[in-house]
Amino acid sequence: GLLLVVLLVSHMLLTKEGVTSLPICPNGSVNCQLSLEELFDRAVKLSHYIHFLSSEMFNEFDERYAQGRGFIAKAVNSCHTASLTTPEDKEQAQQIHHEDLLNLILGVLRSWNDPLVHLASEVQRIKEAPETILWKAVEIEEQNKRLLEGMEKIVGRVHSGEVGNDIYTPWDGLPSLQLADEDSRLFAFYNLLHCLRRDSHKIDNYLKVLKCRLIHDNNC
Amino acid sequence: DLLQWPQISKCRSPEMETFSCYWTAGNFYNLTVPRILQLLYKKSNEEDWKECPDYITSGQNSCYFNASYTSVWTPYCVQLASKNEVYDKKCFSVDEIVLPDPPVHLNWTLLNTSQTGIHGDIQVRWDPPPTADVRKGWITLEYELQYKEVNETKWKELKPRLSTVVPLYSLKTARDYEIRIRSRQRTSEKFGEFSEILYVSFSQIGIGCDHCTEEVEFPWFLVVVFGVCGLAVTVISIMLSKQPRLKMLIFPPVPVPKIKGIDPDLLKKGKLDEVNSILACHDIYKTQLYNDDLWVEFIELDIEDPDEKNRASDTDRLLGEDHLKSHSCLGTKDDDSGRASCCEPDIPETDFSASDTCDATSDSDQFKKATEKEEDLLGLDREDNDESLPSLANIDPQRRHRSTQSENRHLWAPFGDSVQSPHPSVHAHISNQNSLTSTDFYAQVSDITPAGRVVLSPGQKSKLGRAQRGGCTEQSFTMDNTYFCEADVKKCIAVTSHEENEPHVQEQSYNEDGYFTTESLTTTVANLGAPTAAPPSSEMPVADYTSIHIVHSPQGLVLNATALPVPDKEFNVSCGYVSTDQLNKIMP
Repeated sequence: GLLLVVLLVSHMLLTKEGVTSLPICPNGSVNCQLSLEELFDRAVKLSHYIHFLSSEMFNEFDERYAQGRGFIAKAVNSCHTASLTTPEDKEQAQQIHHEDLLNLILGVLRSWNDPLVHLASEVQRIKEAPETILWKAVEIEEQNKRLLEGMEKIVGRVHSGEVGNDIYTPWDGLPSLQLADEDSRLFAFYNLLHCLRRDSHKIDNYLKVLKCRLIHDNNC
Repeated sequence: DLLQWPQISKCRSPEMETFSCYWTAGNFYNLTVPRILQLLYKKSNEEDWKECPDYITSGQNSCYFNASYTSVWTPYCVQLASKNEVYDKKCFSVDEIVLPDPPVHLNWTLLNTSQTGIHGDIQVRWDPPPTADVRKGWITLEYELQYKEVNETKWKELKPRLSTVVPLYSLKTARDYEIRIRSRQRTSEKFGEFSEILYVSFSQIGIGCDHCTEEVEFPWFLVVVFGVCGLAVTVISIMLSKQPRLKMLIFPPVPVPKIKGIDPDLLKKGKLDEVNSILACHDIYKTQLYNDDLWVEFIELDIEDPDEKNRASDTDRLLGEDHLKSHSCLGTKDDDSGRASCCEPDIPETDFSASDTCDATSDSDQFKKATEKEEDLLGLDREDNDESLPSLANIDPQRRHRSTQSENRHLWAPFGDSVQSPHPSVHAHISNQNSLTSTDFYAQVSDITPAGRVVLSPGQKSKLGRAQRGGCTEQSFTMDNTYFCEADVKKCIAVTSHEENEPHVQEQSYNEDGYFTTESLTTTVANLGAPTAAPPSSEMPVADYTSIHIVHSPQGLVLNATALPVPDKEFNVSCGYVSTDQLNKIMP
């Protein structure tokens, strides 16, 4: 009976979105090396999970704080990562070199490192923030770090030449998250979450394209 | 009709490569001068509004943006306007408006059928919408399959999944099914349109089970019937089971509703006086006696040492609740008759020491208090002359019968109830009050001498006599759990049979029942040779008691009569109070 319960619980935990029962490769083990396919698998799962969380968080925030404030109309603002020239359609995504695309992905992920940290801390100062939003902010920040690590591994495997470290956009939105005026502050959050959802979708898409291109030879 | 402005109904991208916007012209269009609607769009990083590049491809009132005009993660704004007016405006980005086309090429194959051939499993497969570039991973779709029987109305849904192959289990081969599928982008919420319906018919492939139209439904009827029968059998077997413990476990005895101290039989026989007395005992004594936990009443006081007993102050005895409790309700089973709960000694209370000896302490001070209560005790059933002795059963059943022989471990109060009241005034005074039943045998305290003696006049002799006459049989004594000492029974019989044994009886009764009332009663009894009620005043003189030996409860006093001899023989310490002399003789 107890064994059954344990099995059930472990199964439940493992089939949670974003968590998979991938082959275990102990840290520091020299001989154990995940294949590129497995690395991509994990990366895609993580990116999907991050996008899923961002999407939910944005929806919850929209429901809770943005109703009646006319935020939608204003949210045409560009995100801080807009300066990074990422592919905007399938055509461009197919034409770009995979190494460049990987670097772009890394750049976007790095650019979001800082904002995510502050998002996690500042969102707690929102008045009566729902627990789910708080939790998601923390979780996204964590998973983003993991994805960044994974991507660096992939880049290390795939890259033939040097790893370009120069793709990065700084984020200067912290003051807007700390505005005294509640309306302005909430709008800043709204924008940030909107941008997060968009960028996480981008990364998820790029990774899937890369995975299909590199692993399955365009035949997913 | 309401005026409806032109408005943009929706913008949709089927594959995240192109998108279209659709609008409704509204009825406004026809009413006024026909205006030409335009759709203007603007990307977020642009300044100017541009007109729709393609009004045709997506149908009427639509605008189609092909791949070159589509930037996926770029915010767009579109607006519906005529020359001067803007009717509607929408802002979005393409990745938010993805609604895939329906899947295509649905088909199904049979996996297997059940042994009876009634059910079968099939596998449904389909292709993703052709427009969606799933192969290059540009878009990831998940699918939701719905199916139902042909004549049903409600579709059954499966959980959305990524694969394009789905098994359906346990379909009825006799029925035909319909299947439809729709898809959505994996991280979206909205689904696209449904695909065409796929018809599944087992008869087409030759395994239809025409004679299997009768479904084997769950045999609810049988289950219910057998369940009820089994339950009934179980219940009956438990009820008839000899094992009391099992029975107790399953069917715990429901306490019969009762008022403490009241025998339902009393109510049936209409013995209101006794009922009253029992009720009275609660009212009177509860406040005084039962301030503490009633359970304490079952504590037995070990009063081996008469000196020790004597040392205890009478006040304590009178008022000591533990004393009372220890004495008052000892040894009586609670047989739901109501008597067990009334721990008031409404009859001459025996001193239920561990050694079954009666002890008495004297305390004139307490006597007065006792007398107050005695009056209550004296309230006996005087009005019902036909009352038999057993009606004395209303006495506190907790009296422990000292005799080991008798099962009736109750205090003897044999004579009281049946004796008619020779003193109507007294009885009337007492009877309808909170007087206890079965205190008929108590003599009325007629006077208190200056010496501190209580002058008692005999109680209800007639009742007593009658008891002797009619109900003085074994059976009557034992009926209704009346409280009789064995000696009393013997007495009763003795009295009836041998008149000349009167003094003997008298002595006996005196011995056994230290209550003063017994004296008078015995006197009465003794004098009742014939079944005639003699006036109590003409009886043998009531002995004057010198002191109160024991006040076992406010209800009774043990009085030490000086005049009458203490017979040695047949000192049946079955019940009742024993005088100290007797006690001394008894005690080692």
